[in-house]
Amino acid sequence: MIEPTLALYGDAYERVDRHLEELLQNTGVRYCLLVDRKGFVLSHKEAIWAPRPPALDSVATLVASNAAATSALANMLGEKAFSEQIHQGENGTLYVEAVGEDSLLTLIFDSTVPLGRVKVQTKKAVAEVAAILDELKDAPPVEFDEDFSKGASALLDDLLG
Amino acid sequence: MSTINFAAREINCKIVYYGPGVAGKTVNLKYVFSKVPEKLRGEMVSLETEDERTLFFDFMPLELGSVQGFKTRFHLYTVPGQVFYNASRKLILRGVDGIVFVADSAPERLRANAESMRNLRENLAEHGVDMATLPIVLQINKRDIPGALPVEVIRSVIDPQKRLPVIEAEAINGKGVFESLKLASKLVLDRLSKTG
Repeated sequence: MIEPTLALYGDAYERVDRHLEELLQNTGVRYCLLVDRKGFVLSHKEAIWAPRPPALDSVATLVASNAAATSALANMLGEKAFSEQIHQGENGTLYVEAVGEDSLLTLIFDSTVPLGRVKVQTKKAVAEVAAILDELKDAPPVEFDEDFSKGASALLDDLLG
Repeated sequence: MSTINFAAREINCKIVYYGPGVAGKTVNLKYVFSKVPEKLRGEMVSLETEDERTLFFDFMPLELGSVQGFKTRFHLYTVPGQVFYNASRKLILRGVDGIVFVADSAPERLRANAESMRNLRENLAEHGVDMATLPIVLQINKRDIPGALPVEVIRSVIDPQKRLPVIEAEAINGKGVFESLKLASKLVLDRLSKTG
């Protein structure tokens, strides 16, 4: 029996999605992702006017690894964790804020967007999204039957011979 | 455990290649990357030193396709094998669903294999994972080198109870690479559908 760390069910997922959309509208950032600490993309939004984003799988993996490394650093310094990471470059900013225990809200924006405003809006969104994710902790476990196994096996045969 | 995303109907599983330095973990991933059709894989991310030794990890997403309406994906990672990189190696194990342990057949690396396996056990314990319940495939790599030790000798050192499935490999020319990945993936997916 599997216990997913985070299962975003239909209704809850839509609510998370709405918060991300709102955040995107209110801040003027390019991309907004919710990733889990294992590096999987849980949900993502991009501004209509923004150029095509970089590979989001890679972004999520690097953000999660970065968060893992900095939280190991935090522990060495006697902190439980660092709740936010800000990386500023010449043309833009990557801003990451922890949401609950298991996920990270990641915003990518260019230098025209004031960081202060993004921070204020993000903190608000984080609280709301964290509450939704918290509800999901009690969601019923997912069950897959034997057919799932068979189907998956057949696909593996196709892919890897 | 795997991350299940119901809105996008996705199942995400994490497979980590573990083993001592220069055993061939990155070579495994690079072979998969080169042979899998482009539409089924994402970009490969490698954080390596100047001499191409893995510093933090290699990463590659792989699409399996849809099973019962769920898009099923694997995230493949390698860890840095060098003994002194344990802090970052431990981070990569977070949330792992399955492991391919890549062992080196060279006689002078026998002890390194044993140490790496012990290190894996310790790191998993820190994450609260019981090794007995985690799908682990033992890949005995570099079968093609002169003086390669017999498989049984290597196995007796890293898996004396003979609990783990063994696959012989020559990752440099792709032999055994797909078999190892397929077996590990299969064990992970079987575990998903085990009830009770």
